[in-house]
Amino acid sequence: MSAAAVDFDEVTKNFGQVRAVDRLNLTVHKGELVAMLGPNGAGKSTAANLLLGLLRPTGGHVTVLGRRPAEAVAAGQVGAMPQDGGLMPGVTVAGLVDLARDIYPHPRPLAELLTDADLAGLAGRRVDRLSGGQTQRLRFALAIAGDPELLVLDEPTTAMDVRSRQDFWRTVRGYAARGTTVLFATHYLAEADENADRIVVVAGGRVVVDGTPAQVKASAGGHRVRFTVGGGELAGLDRLPGVTAVEVHGSSVTLRTTDAETTVRALLCAREHTPDLEVTGADLEDAFLALTH
Amino acid sequence: MLSLLRLEIRRMLVDTRFLILMLALPIAMYLLFTNIFGNTPPVNGLSEDVREMIAMAAFGAIGAALMATAPRIAVERTNGWLRQLRTMPISARTVITAKVLSAMVWGLPAIVLVDLTAVLDHGVRLPAWQWPAIGGLLWVGTAPFAALGTLLGYLTDGDTAFGVMFGIYLALAALGGLWMPVSILPKVLQHIAAVLPSNRFAELGWRIASGGSPSLLGATILVGWLAAFAALAGLLYRRSNALR
Repeated sequence: MSAAAVDFDEVTKNFGQVRAVDRLNLTVHKGELVAMLGPNGAGKSTAANLLLGLLRPTGGHVTVLGRRPAEAVAAGQVGAMPQDGGLMPGVTVAGLVDLARDIYPHPRPLAELLTDADLAGLAGRRVDRLSGGQTQRLRFALAIAGDPELLVLDEPTTAMDVRSRQDFWRTVRGYAARGTTVLFATHYLAEADENADRIVVVAGGRVVVDGTPAQVKASAGGHRVRFTVGGGELAGLDRLPGVTAVEVHGSSVTLRTTDAETTVRALLCAREHTPDLEVTGADLEDAFLALTH
Repeated sequence: MLSLLRLEIRRMLVDTRFLILMLALPIAMYLLFTNIFGNTPPVNGLSEDVREMIAMAAFGAIGAALMATAPRIAVERTNGWLRQLRTMPISARTVITAKVLSAMVWGLPAIVLVDLTAVLDHGVRLPAWQWPAIGGLLWVGTAPFAALGTLLGYLTDGDTAFGVMFGIYLALAALGGLWMPVSILPKVLQHIAAVLPSNRFAELGWRIASGGSPSLLGATILVGWLAAFAALAGLLYRRSNALR
C-alpha cells in the first residue's frame, strides 16, 4: 500500500492540434491536500479528467492508487466533482445521495453526508430547485458518499457564497485530516493558499512551481502596496526596502515588494501622508507573469 | 442498480408533462374517438370500442416508453449527470438499462389505465384470458420503442429531444393506424403503416381481441425494428462513452 495516491508520469494529452497537457510529472502522496492552481486553459481540468479515467492520455502514464484510473473508479476508491458534472433531475436531495450510497461499496451514513455537505435542511428538496451553491454542495455530497481514498474536486466552490465556501473547506480539510487524499483545481490563489498543504502551479499543461503556499507566493513576487499620492515627491520610492517595481497610474501608486511589512514601515516613515494605503497579495495574473516568464 | 431503477421510475411521477401527455391524453382521446366513431359497425369481428381501447393503450405505452428514455438520456448527456456517473463505480450499461426498464415499467399503467376506462365507461367485455394476453403482449411489445427512445436520446440534445421525440411519436401514431383505422388511410400510407412498429404493435392486441393469435409477420417486423434501434443506439452509446 505504499503506492502514491496520484502519479502522472510524463503525461501528454492532445486535442487535435492543441496540447492541453504537456509532459506533466506530478506525484501526490496519500493523505496530501494539494491544490492545482492555474488560469483557465492551463490544463487543470484535462489533468483531472485524466485522473478520473474520463480521458485517455496521448502519451505517458497516469496511475491512481497504484492502478489504472478507470480501475480505481470502478473499485469505488475515487470520489469526484468533475468539471461540467450535473445532477439527475426530478429527484430529491436525499434520494440522490442515497443513490450514490448505493453505488459505492462502502458508503458513509446518509445523515453524516447531509451534515458534511450542509444539506441537512434540504433533504426533501427537489434537485432542480436548488440554488447554484446548493447544487455544488450536493455534488460534493455525491463525491464523498463512498468514503473515497481520493477526492478529485474541479473548481468545487463555483457559485458558493462566502459562508458556504468556508464551511466547505472546513469539511474538506476534515476529510484530509482523516487521511483522505484531496486534489482540487482552482484559479483562485487565495483558495489554494488558505486550504492546501501544497500548491502545484500549472501553466501551459505543465507544472511550473510546486511547493508550500509560502514558497509559491514568494516565487510569485510577494505583495503589492498601493496608496494615493497626496502631494510630495515620487522620487525615492524605488529605493524603499523590498520594492522591486513602482507603477504610477494618475495619482495612484503601486509598489511591488518581496517584503510587505518592511516596505510599509519605511514608506510610513518616509512620507507624511499615505492616503488609501492598502496591501494586497500578488494575484494570479501577477503570479503567472512571475512564474511563467 | 435497483435503487437507480427505483429513482428512474419515481421521478416520472413528478414530471407533469409525462403524466398529462402519456397517461391522461390516451384516455381523453379514447373517450373522444369512441364517442365520435362509437357506432361504427365491427370490422373483422372487432367493435370500435375494443379497437380504440387497444389503439390508445398502445399509444400510451409507446409514449411512456419514449418519454422515459429519449428526453432523459438527452438531458442527462447535456447537463453532465451521465458524466458524474462515469466518475462513480457504476457502468454506463447499467445506467441505460435502468432507463429502458423504467420505460417498460411505465408502459404498464399506460395500458392498464386505458383498459380500465374502456371497461368502466364503455362496458367493454372480453373473455378473461384475453386481458392478460393483450396486456402482456403490449407490454413486451414496448421494447422496440424503448430502444427507439434510447437512440433518440443519443441523436438529440437536452433542448431538442422532447420536440423530436414528440414529432416521431405523433407520426408513428397517426400513420400506424392508432387514431383511425388504417383502412381509411390512402393506399400509399396503408403500405407504410404495414411496416411501422406502431401498427404491428397494436396489431398484437387487435389479433387477440378478435379471437386470433399474433401474426408471425407482425412479430418479425417488431423484432426487426427492435434489433435495428438497439444496434444503432448501441453504436451511438459506445461512441459517446469511448475514451478520447
